[in-house]
Amino acid sequence: MRLILLFAVFAVLGLAIETAVPHLISFRALVPNLIIILAVDLGLRHHGVLPAIIAFTMGYATDALAGSHPGLNAFMMTMVFLVSYEISTRLMVANAFVGATVVFFGVIATALGTIAIANGFNALSDTGPLMPELTLEALISAIIAPIVFAMLATSKRLTGLKARAARE
Amino acid sequence: MLLASGVLLILSLHLITSGVHPGDLAARPQSAFLELISPIDGAFTHFSDGASAIGKDYLDLVHARDENVKLHEELTRVKADQARLAELEVENQHLSELLDLKDALGTNAVAANVIGSDAGGISRTLILASGTDEGLRAGMAVIANQGVVGKIIAVSPHASRVLLINDHNSALDGFDQRTRARGIVAGLVDDGVILKYADRSQDIKVDDTIVTSGLDGIFPRGLLVGTIQSVHREGPGLFLGVRITPAVDFRQLEQVMILTDPPPHLDDQAKD
Repeated sequence: MRLILLFAVFAVLGLAIETAVPHLISFRALVPNLIIILAVDLGLRHHGVLPAIIAFTMGYATDALAGSHPGLNAFMMTMVFLVSYEISTRLMVANAFVGATVVFFGVIATALGTIAIANGFNALSDTGPLMPELTLEALISAIIAPIVFAMLATSKRLTGLKARAARE
Repeated sequence: MLLASGVLLILSLHLITSGVHPGDLAARPQSAFLELISPIDGAFTHFSDGASAIGKDYLDLVHARDENVKLHEELTRVKADQARLAELEVENQHLSELLDLKDALGTNAVAANVIGSDAGGISRTLILASGTDEGLRAGMAVIANQGVVGKIIAVSPHASRVLLINDHNSALDGFDQRTRARGIVAGLVDDGVILKYADRSQDIKVDDTIVTSGLDGIFPRGLLVGTIQSVHREGPGLFLGVRITPAVDFRQLEQVMILTDPPPHLDDQAKD
């Protein structure tokens, strides 16, 4: 229950920032993808059915505020969660650097996956002009990720939740 | 856990392929999320207006340290009031322009404030601070005084989302005002807008005006979409490669107007 509440608060704040800030600064790439950071944290540090459902729900909440295909972000966030989980089971540590790296590639893979599913794989050939902006967004998300992980870790400690990966 | 994730992935694929329609059970959480986020976005927008006014005041006062503190405070307050009034004046001007447009179109319409953008980086949508309580429904046309903005794709009681015409999933029927050449105005992944299926034999030129045809059943005929930016005739194929510069700067949008009446049938227009 505490995990659900914690991630619900972070997800609502994250979505509010992701929707309000681009409208104010007019440059979308500067806004980090906070929901992916949350999904990566879940995958790296919380293993079980409940974290998978939380990742899916965060994606479905994103669907209400992004894109025009409901279910697309839910699918992507579940995938990000699964990949993060797989990485955490294969590495001895799941520290902030690993998390930031997963976030970087997660942002790019999610964007390209979204385009491929919504418009077909042929649409990927038109993504060239989009890549600099996408890479910048991924980079900013990766830079912000350790800060969000630290905030999550502090919140988990305060609420008495386990914040370490299973293999650490 | 892997089994649960697999089930969730299948569920999300089912949602993608079947779609979520207004009134569906799956649409309720979507509406609730939109309703939850919209007041926070509204507060962000309100806060940013205040913050920019304060920032402006600070820059004006930074070199006047020797002035009386009370005068500083007075000046700050007056300037903040001025900035707020100026903001209200701009908003008022936008709304009166929208009202003029509404009168010119002769249709029922609702004005709404833009309070947010798409939560992802790929799609192009906006969040409006009006929803079903103001009479908005999915599929309604959204315009600004400069031209076509997009259409509503999701609504909650107090908020709604607009799919912009430069989104890669957007399409509307339009034509070149000079040559009458028809095509589908569609968005691209890279933020651009094109006129698809424009016949190769048509004499479409740069700077031609593209307007809505009214054939899509969403937008009334004759609304400005944009101007032709480039025309590519090279290469094989039946159609021209036509790129459009939208008339509306979507990043600067603050107020929009939603046409609550469906567009009149072209037959009816002809009879009138």
